[in-house]
Amino acid sequence: MRIVIAEDDALLREGLTLLLSAEGFDVAGAAGDPETFLALVDEKKPDLAVVDVRMPPTHTDEGIRAAVAARRAHPGLAVLVLSAYVEQSFATDLLADGADKIGYLLKERVGRVEAFLAALRRVADGGTAIDPEVIAQLFATRRAGDPLERLSAREREVLTLMAEGLGNTAIAEKLFVTPNAVHKHIRAIFAKLELPPDERVDRRVAAVLRHLEGTRR
Amino acid sequence: MKPLLRRTLTALATLGRGTGTAFLAYLGLAGTLLLAGLCLISVGLPLLPYGLRLQRGLANLERRRLRRLGYEVPEPYAPLPHGWGPSMRTAFTDPATRRDLAWLAAHGIGGLALGLIVFSLVSNSIRDITMPLWWYLIPPDAGLTTMWDAPVDSWDIAAVTALTGPVWLLLVFALAPAIARGQTYAGRRLLGPVDGMDLTARVAQLTRTRAAVLDAHTAELRRIERALHDGAQNRLVGVAVLTGAARRALTRDPATADAILERAQTGAEEALAELRAVVRSILPPVLEQRGLHGALSALAAGCAVPCTFEADIPGRLPTSVEATAYFAVAEALTNVSKHSRATTASVEVTRTGDRLTVTVRDDGKGGADGDGGSGLNGLKGRVEAHDGTLLVDSPRGGPTMVRVELPCGS
Repeated sequence: MRIVIAEDDALLREGLTLLLSAEGFDVAGAAGDPETFLALVDEKKPDLAVVDVRMPPTHTDEGIRAAVAARRAHPGLAVLVLSAYVEQSFATDLLADGADKIGYLLKERVGRVEAFLAALRRVADGGTAIDPEVIAQLFATRRAGDPLERLSAREREVLTLMAEGLGNTAIAEKLFVTPNAVHKHIRAIFAKLELPPDERVDRRVAAVLRHLEGTRR
Repeated sequence: MKPLLRRTLTALATLGRGTGTAFLAYLGLAGTLLLAGLCLISVGLPLLPYGLRLQRGLANLERRRLRRLGYEVPEPYAPLPHGWGPSMRTAFTDPATRRDLAWLAAHGIGGLALGLIVFSLVSNSIRDITMPLWWYLIPPDAGLTTMWDAPVDSWDIAAVTALTGPVWLLLVFALAPAIARGQTYAGRRLLGPVDGMDLTARVAQLTRTRAAVLDAHTAELRRIERALHDGAQNRLVGVAVLTGAARRALTRDPATADAILERAQTGAEEALAELRAVVRSILPPVLEQRGLHGALSALAAGCAVPCTFEADIPGRLPTSVEATAYFAVAEALTNVSKHSRATTASVEVTRTGDRLTVTVRDDGKGGADGDGGSGLNGLKGRVEAHDGTLLVDSPRGGPTMVRVELPCGS
């Protein structure tokens, strides 16, 4: 798998390159700013891009904008965005054009190499990886009358894992329940959030997040 | 005894000048009344501009006297337009004209009375003290009297009068400074701008500086957030990533794992250094440990250009003032080292009353800009946020002087 990295911090750029190369990925290039990154993507035609949110010149959301631009220019490019902190609006911006081949993770998750590599492969294979923190933040900032209020504790757990991009079987394994039980929970979640049920992981993640973001405005 | 004498003589000199302006004000008052009378029969109307000029001239004379005594009394007049009609209308609606008139009456009568009382007290007490001499020189039937109009008709009374004279003189010693101050009261109250106007300007200034405080505060928080996120946090993430990579490599290739861990360790050390830098930039620990004097002398000693340090800062100042002074010197000395090409520099800190003045000079090439340079600009915001002022004097070719004045609310 061919990968391009956009990360302005030299140490982290080096670390990511080192880690991914050691794991057998083909790191085609690493950029420190959005322009170089976009040029690299044009030139190397990677399968996946790992992008830091904060990059020069303003260190705000350049990475998100670069990721969205790269996806527009190269449909089918998988993008895994890394962020120093979770910002709900970043996730929404990313998911605006669909959730397949999108990942949004906290930077420190990279240190848990196995989970990080799993997320990376999932995103490259067409799936989704949303950091549990995003969902946690949604729960933390919910208001009275928020549809999230209606979910049971177990349903919230399922929703969080679902947002991370796990399929029914993986969720069932994590929660030590049968896939059938997970299926029932997911149907309940969609019913409570008044969403059309969908079995495809990426679709349902997008639907849930977009719906929640929408109800908050 | 000597300071008391000097104090009294100074007061008497002040009173002398004050009584002079009071006498002129008295004449001016009489002239104004006469002019007002003439205006009633319309003969005076063409003379009004001269009356006004005379009145303002007298007021300005008193203003100059007050300024020399250290009181701030700026001219409050609204500018006069051309032409008799418009200028008279402006003059009559200007509250300063009314206040000038009030001062003419108050100083011309009250101020003159105060002055005359003191000087007659002085002359009479001198006459009383020297009474035996007069008694000796002047024929007894010349009608000599004491200060209290008692007839002096014997040696005994002349002697007693001479003994009471010093009492009156002591009274002069005790009261002259207060009376001299009292004589300036009408001028101080009436000749400056109306209090309300002063307050309006002050409120506008405070509003501006308050906004600057909030701006500076937000900018500071943003800077700290950036420094933490993009500096230390990124380093730590790098450490986490490298540690993860090292663990993966551990079984496969221990030598590589060790190299990666070496890198991770360096990253952790860099993160620590960044954290220290951030902490120092928030509030330098050296201020807490060694006070402003010690912290500034350390800065001067650490400057790349030989730098002298002179300070007179008794006691501790509010933390925010010390920090601002510290950052001001740090910024100025950084500029000296980086841009000035100076061979010597100096830092001078003095405290007078509730103002701390920090001056940094160098003999470099000058051309520093208080508005353009981002460092000095940031400093300006920080200083103004404390209600202080930043002055940059740096002509092309040098030398450069940066002066920061901060109120330190003692």
